[in-house]
Amino acid sequence: MEFFRQTNIDFLKYKWRAIFASWALILVGLFAIFVQKGLKFGIDFAGGTQITLRFAERPDIDRLRKMLDGTDLGETGIQRYEEAEKNEVLIRVQQQKKEGRDVAGEVLKALRAGLQSPTDPGKIDINTEGKATLAARIAAADPDHVAGRSDVNPGEYYGQVAERTIALRSKLGIFHAPADANGVAEASAAVKAWLQANTYAGPFVLLSAENVGPQVGADLQKKALLAVVFSTLGMLAYIAFRFRSVPFGVGAIVALVHDTLITVGLLALFGREFNLVVVAALLTLVGYSVNDTVVVYDRVRENQKTPKKEPLETVINRSINQTLSRTILTSGATMLVVIALYFLGGEVLNTFALTLIIGIVVGTYSSIYVAAAIVVIWKDFKNRRKLAVVPAPPPAAAAPVASAKKNSKRR
Amino acid sequence: MAKKLRWRVLLIVVVVAGAVSGYVAMGFAHARKEWTGPGGPGLRDALRSGIKLGLDLRGGIHLVLQVKTSDALKAERDDAVELLKAETKDLNLGAVELPTDSSFTIAVTEKTDQSKLEEAIKRFLPDWNFSTAGGKWTFALKEVARRQIEDNAVAQAVETIRNRVDEFGVAEPLIARQGADRILVQLPGIDDPRRVKDLIKNTAFLELSLVEGGPSTQAALLASKGGKVPDDMKLIEGKADPGSRERNFYLVRKQAVITGRDLKNARPTQGQFGAHSVTFFLTASGSQKFGAATGANIGRHLAIVLDNRVQSAPNIKDRITEQGVIEGSFSPEEANDLALVLRAGALPAGLTYLEERTVGPSLGLDSIRKGVTASIVGALLVFVAVVLYYRHAGWNAVLALTLNAILLMATMSLFEATLTLPGIAGFILTIGMAVDSNVLIFERIREELRNGRAPKAAIENGFGKAWSTIIDTHATIIISALFLLQFGTGPVKGFAVTLIIGLLISMFTAVFVSHTLFELVYGRRQHIDSISI
Repeated sequence: MEFFRQTNIDFLKYKWRAIFASWALILVGLFAIFVQKGLKFGIDFAGGTQITLRFAERPDIDRLRKMLDGTDLGETGIQRYEEAEKNEVLIRVQQQKKEGRDVAGEVLKALRAGLQSPTDPGKIDINTEGKATLAARIAAADPDHVAGRSDVNPGEYYGQVAERTIALRSKLGIFHAPADANGVAEASAAVKAWLQANTYAGPFVLLSAENVGPQVGADLQKKALLAVVFSTLGMLAYIAFRFRSVPFGVGAIVALVHDTLITVGLLALFGREFNLVVVAALLTLVGYSVNDTVVVYDRVRENQKTPKKEPLETVINRSINQTLSRTILTSGATMLVVIALYFLGGEVLNTFALTLIIGIVVGTYSSIYVAAAIVVIWKDFKNRRKLAVVPAPPPAAAAPVASAKKNSKRR
Repeated sequence: MAKKLRWRVLLIVVVVAGAVSGYVAMGFAHARKEWTGPGGPGLRDALRSGIKLGLDLRGGIHLVLQVKTSDALKAERDDAVELLKAETKDLNLGAVELPTDSSFTIAVTEKTDQSKLEEAIKRFLPDWNFSTAGGKWTFALKEVARRQIEDNAVAQAVETIRNRVDEFGVAEPLIARQGADRILVQLPGIDDPRRVKDLIKNTAFLELSLVEGGPSTQAALLASKGGKVPDDMKLIEGKADPGSRERNFYLVRKQAVITGRDLKNARPTQGQFGAHSVTFFLTASGSQKFGAATGANIGRHLAIVLDNRVQSAPNIKDRITEQGVIEGSFSPEEANDLALVLRAGALPAGLTYLEERTVGPSLGLDSIRKGVTASIVGALLVFVAVVLYYRHAGWNAVLALTLNAILLMATMSLFEATLTLPGIAGFILTIGMAVDSNVLIFERIREELRNGRAPKAAIENGFGKAWSTIIDTHATIIISALFLLQFGTGPVKGFAVTLIIGLLISMFTAVFVSHTLFELVYGRRQHIDSISI
């Protein structure tokens, strides 16, 4: 199968139209960032708290909100998370002024107080306690009477029961009643009876809780910025070294900034959150875009070595055509993977995948219409200035011809 | 040629066999460490635990703590003040002021012999700079000493946290110092964040001091001493009764009878009515001190002060030497954890949580399931596309990609690199990049064929010409990933690790392995009419 057989498209004919389109997209993105909604920073950078909970029953968001309004935590936000039928809820709390406040603990306490009917204080919540606590409580009661036996270590014995119970909870998602723990095959009837009598199933399971204080938030921002700046500089240094040409380097830089601007702008437009994972995705797409640009440039360099004297625009056009099949195929293959990630990877990887989907499209386009076009425009501009001063034929092609001859002899 | 080919095939076989067996060996080692059930781990368990999973996939907590080094400085300052006062009792020194954490001033009176004071300072406070102005002597802790104290406080806090975590029983904890005053704590598999956080943060500073007044209200206690707390006493709040809103206070002696340092051991116990308490045991020297103090004060009350709060103030009924009981309305876990922190030692300074990330066990399970599904589906889609587009050569690419995945897993396992959720994304991206290398090569071969070269020459030229491009594309991304590794944090790092390892392997699989496969298929035949590409 072959999609492109020796195409000969005059890509660079449309370069001015493409530049117009690029600016339009960039402006839309900038509008989204600065005018419309602003870039939504996640807690990694903005600081604050984010908690995800899974409820046994479909939670009443308004009721939860009222419970949190009763606290002095400031601005809080609650929304349903991921697939609604899983009863998962995402709670955000603004950054606190005081460093080190146990926000997650306070939120859970407020929700528990609001949702839970008073229970016997001796009972423990089988949905939130960990295996260490559960194991210790069962071991203290010792329903299987193993304490006196020499062949059994009660700590290990009940530790395993507790571990299996928590594993079952993870598998089921949540215990609706202590009776659900009857599914633990390793537990004896006596242990199950103990669980029935001494535990209750609380209203939710804690999926995750993240709290980033002001100091760490500022730190993460700084580090992410450094990572972006240095990795970009590193790539550019490599390109400058490999191609030994200013317009090529500038073309790659502009393409890279172009891709990043458009992607960040579109993320803002879609209301996606900007966090550490997105930074990783952005850096990937920068790498990807540079990769694409390098493939085209490599071909241009190779084609310039032929003895035929041709205008640069023709050489670049031919190089783009020659690599077109590869460009489309690679982009397509990577796109397949990223689309799988987008639909199947879950909430965290979803934004990562979206960033890459945008990035691959924009990056493929930019290596043709930004990176290559800039080299052409740059050279055109320089030639025109030269022609204006000294009306002589451009001698620039002489040197590459000589070196190309040497190369061809070696082969 | 054929001989060279044989060596290349052998190299590939050895690398793959080594990788697979290395992975399985590491898997068994890990699985055995965590095995709790009967018997031993099987091959399936080993395959599952070959790669170390990050907290986001396996569940656990990640904490960044800040040590309040000012606590340690204050303690040093207070010690210096006490020492100076004790050693210069005859010099008639005046009031002490404490302007900062690491400085104090003392007023001198006319009766003070200043040369004697200077002598005492030089002898007892070598770490302090001092200056005098207007009848006031100002002391500031020397920079070197200050840094030393802060440094010790953080180092000791790391040690104490490690002791506590070990006692609690966490597999593979990470406790590391970060910068000047921060500590990173990562505890995989912990599913009870609240308890562990309390356990780590508990300063567990225990003091047993004689009670001079109380329990009563603050005002009443002050009134009984003429409106001012005497120099050798301090006012401490008592633990409130559950259900009562009134705060009660005690006046206790500043000089403690014994402190947490005199403890040899502590363990949770259950009292008469099933109430949970903690029994502590004293060292030999502690026993001596305790015996003398209790023997001389029978009938008085002894305050058990934990983290500057009176837990209880029992009546001394008899001389006590070796052990004592801390009572309070503890839950079984609280009693257990209190005994644990008392055994592990007190923290030299308070801690603040700067960052805290908890991932529950079920979320980690979900994430793995989704990440693995997405990887498999993504890889299969690519396989189908490549085989459809390049036919037989496509199978070559599929094999190279599969080897890439296997080698990546094995390398991560052998280097004990941690796989995180962004790491899975990096893995998926590696597949994309590896496909790119194959595509570059195949397209080049097709081009050579179109230009009329013989199949064998087309293969050679295709690999030769694509090589420089492959180097360029890989190098740019590896360079950027190295910077991510250096400057990135958490998720960014996990992503970079997988990407770098994956790309290095991809150069081997996409070029060396692919080339060898082409030669295996086409190299031995004398004459080839066409290549299926």
